Amino acid sequence: MTSSVGTEGQTGGQPLGQQAEFLAEKMAEVRREISKAIVGQSEVVDGVLIALLAGGHVLLEGAPGLGKTMLVRTLAQAVAQKYSRIQFTPDLMPADVIGTSVVQENGDGRKSLGFQPGPIFTNLLLADEINRATPKTQSALLEAMQEKQVTVAHTSHLLDEPFFVMATQNPLEMEGTYPLPEAQLDRFLFKLRVPYPGREDLHEILDRTTQGNANPIRPVVNGAQILEMRTVVRTVPVAPHVQEYVVKLTLATHPENPENLLAAKYIRYGSSPRGAQTLILGGKVRALLDGRFNVSLDDIRTLMLPALRHRIILNFEAQADGRTPDDLLEEIAGKICTK
Amino acid sequence: MSLREKIKLAAPGEFSGTACLSALRDVWRQVVSSDLQKPLDLYRDLDPQQCSSELQDLLATLKIIRQRIFANSLLRSGARWFMWLMIALIAAALVIANFGGAVVSIAVLAAVGVLAILAWTWRVRPSNYETARRIDSAAGLKDRLSTAIYLGGIDDPRGIVGEQRKDALARLIALDPRRYFPVELPGTGRRAAALVLVVSGLFAYRIHHSPPLVSLLQTTARSPLVQSLLTPIAHAMEKDLQRTLALVTRKQDVAGEQAERADAANTDDLWKSDQGPGSDEQKNSADANASDPPQDQMQPDGNQEGDPSGEARQSDSNSQSQEGKGDDSSNGNSQQQSEQQGPQGRQSLGQSLMQALKNMLSNSPGQQSNNRAGQQPPNGQGTPQAGNSQQPGQTESDKRGDSRGNSDAKQKASQTASEGAGSQLGSKELSKDQEAHPVNAVPDRVALEAGSYKEQTGMKIATETGASQLADRGLAPRQDAVINGSEQENIPARYRFYVQRYFEHADNGTH
Repeated sequence: MTSSVGTEGQTGGQPLGQQAEFLAEKMAEVRREISKAIVGQSEVVDGVLIALLAGGHVLLEGAPGLGKTMLVRTLAQAVAQKYSRIQFTPDLMPADVIGTSVVQENGDGRKSLGFQPGPIFTNLLLADEINRATPKTQSALLEAMQEKQVTVAHTSHLLDEPFFVMATQNPLEMEGTYPLPEAQLDRFLFKLRVPYPGREDLHEILDRTTQGNANPIRPVVNGAQILEMRTVVRTVPVAPHVQEYVVKLTLATHPENPENLLAAKYIRYGSSPRGAQTLILGGKVRALLDGRFNVSLDDIRTLMLPALRHRIILNFEAQADGRTPDDLLEEIAGKICTK
Repeated sequence: MSLREKIKLAAPGEFSGTACLSALRDVWRQVVSSDLQKPLDLYRDLDPQQCSSELQDLLATLKIIRQRIFANSLLRSGARWFMWLMIALIAAALVIANFGGAVVSIAVLAAVGVLAILAWTWRVRPSNYETARRIDSAAGLKDRLSTAIYLGGIDDPRGIVGEQRKDALARLIALDPRRYFPVELPGTGRRAAALVLVVSGLFAYRIHHSPPLVSLLQTTARSPLVQSLLTPIAHAMEKDLQRTLALVTRKQDVAGEQAERADAANTDDLWKSDQGPGSDEQKNSADANASDPPQDQMQPDGNQEGDPSGEARQSDSNSQSQEGKGDDSSNGNSQQQSEQQGPQGRQSLGQSLMQALKNMLSNSPGQQSNNRAGQQPPNGQGTPQAGNSQQPGQTESDKRGDSRGNSDAKQKASQTASEGAGSQLGSKELSKDQEAHPVNAVPDRVALEAGSYKEQTGMKIATETGASQLADRGLAPRQDAVINGSEQENIPARYRFYVQRYFEHADNGTH
């Protein structure tokens, strides 16, 4: 078994160790800036930051009014990146997302077809209520999220880096919605559930939003630094037993394996290899954010639910028994030996 | 390559010992590699010589922890083994009389077990990596030490590996891993101590005494309470046994007496049948004494019927035709015949067949040869009572009857006798004989079955009227079997006796 270990002393002029420390410091600052606007929701904020540094995208699921849009806007301000928002509706067309070719007139009066970029050409994209758009429009995001480019009229247009999509969906109003296809769900690094704030947090929200002005958000890092942090993240070593645990966990969600009795009973499709990649990458980021330089089993266990809950598809029996992906994953993880 | 394939390749068609050993070695390697080697390969064991100098302190700590883990494993396994040995010693002291030999055997077993435990514990001792993982888990170091050990061979002081190593060592200094892995006695220590006490007590007891469990059982068996409980049961069982033995003995005696009586009767029959005319009367009387008269009595009747003028045959046909017509005279004759036969005729099928068996048991060579030759039965050979089948003036029906052989003649004769028509139409001697030995009415069915066997299988008799008609063959398989068996010479004597007794019982059942 091999493990990717960064043996080079430095990237970007600074030693990796210092870069790792820099990353941890900067992310702590970003967290502080976000906390100026968002009360509580520490797990959601951590998940968003981990996904940002891991180079993935986040699907936020929560009821209206819980600060999803606020979180994305605050994050965009904290990392000093371009931000755009698309409100997905049933009549939204793919061209409305990725752009289209329009007739343009040059300076000499000649007319030609020119590409008019859509709102997807940004750094932080908020796809609000993504499940209200038709599957055709949802699919317009597939290439952008995975390849970081869009193709219009046989021409591919690269998106700016970092490109970070945060999609939201409302779990309550399911009428007139189009559930995301599995292929698109798999492209989200994490699926984060935005919980209701607690008593203390609700008091704090009321105090902040009904008295005086809100604190301005100060930009902490820029896009280049984020890309550099992404490089540092990939150098974090992973011990073999931790990687073995990730492999076991991923395979344990597959119903094809006769040893996985629980998966065979309740799961129709198990996690893809993207799930394992997500766990390792997320673990590396989490280790750095925690001030460590190695991935631990705790990192994997913490990230298991947001990384895998949208990658397993339950069967009818699970729905009939009221089982959820979260409790199934917890049960599966409890049966895996860590040795 | 599988074991079977390897053996086949080594020597097609033959079993190769070398190839077998090689294949077994491969199988063992697969087992070992799958169970033990895989973790060692996956979590490589760090070579201290190739390890970074920064990690020497960590390795020293790991060595101490490894020794403690090894000692704890050894103590746990040893304590478990010691307990089993103590239990074995207790069992031996309780039961085995030769306690010294048992102790020596257990001591040898203990030594072998200790060696095996040592070898196995050494084999599965944790590596440095595994030990680091255990420390991480016990001290909550979040896999820092294990990652540092895994990356121990990489010398990268300014990179992230160096940072990780510094972080791990800094955490290690802050805590004392030895307190997480103390050498401690296993939890079964108290139980083992109690067992040692028990074993010591038993040793002291066995110096001058026999095995306590055996002594206890003997004492218990001799106690009045147990005696009072067991004695009635023993007596009852003894009585049952005696009763069973008596029953068996009595049955054997009765069977022996009957067999002797039957043999004597047969011998008399044979003797008297050779005496010429008039022997029938003696024979019949002897048969009557032997309580199996009907068959014998009817055989001479049949012979008489099959004789001089062929009236037997004629009467047979007459009787049948008369029965079909419902003629009163013939019915009256048959009824009269049946009444004359009286109680003798009520003899069962089993008795008649038993007589056949007795004839067979008599094992007379002359008789058998006569029977096989299809001649007249012994009592009919050249005698007037035999029906004079060889005499001139025979009718065609008589000739036919002769050609069918003796058995046919017997069957037809007995059949006609049972039907009550032909016998009276026979010779006067017969009627005299019947008068001398009054024959009561015989159930038609019994007479039919005891008569001509071959035709009987196709006949069914109405018991009330004595009429016969064609019917199924369900009546005579037993008789056929006996008759056919009687014609065989090589039936073992024990089997004959068994069949004879069987029919005696059947006979008793019918009565």
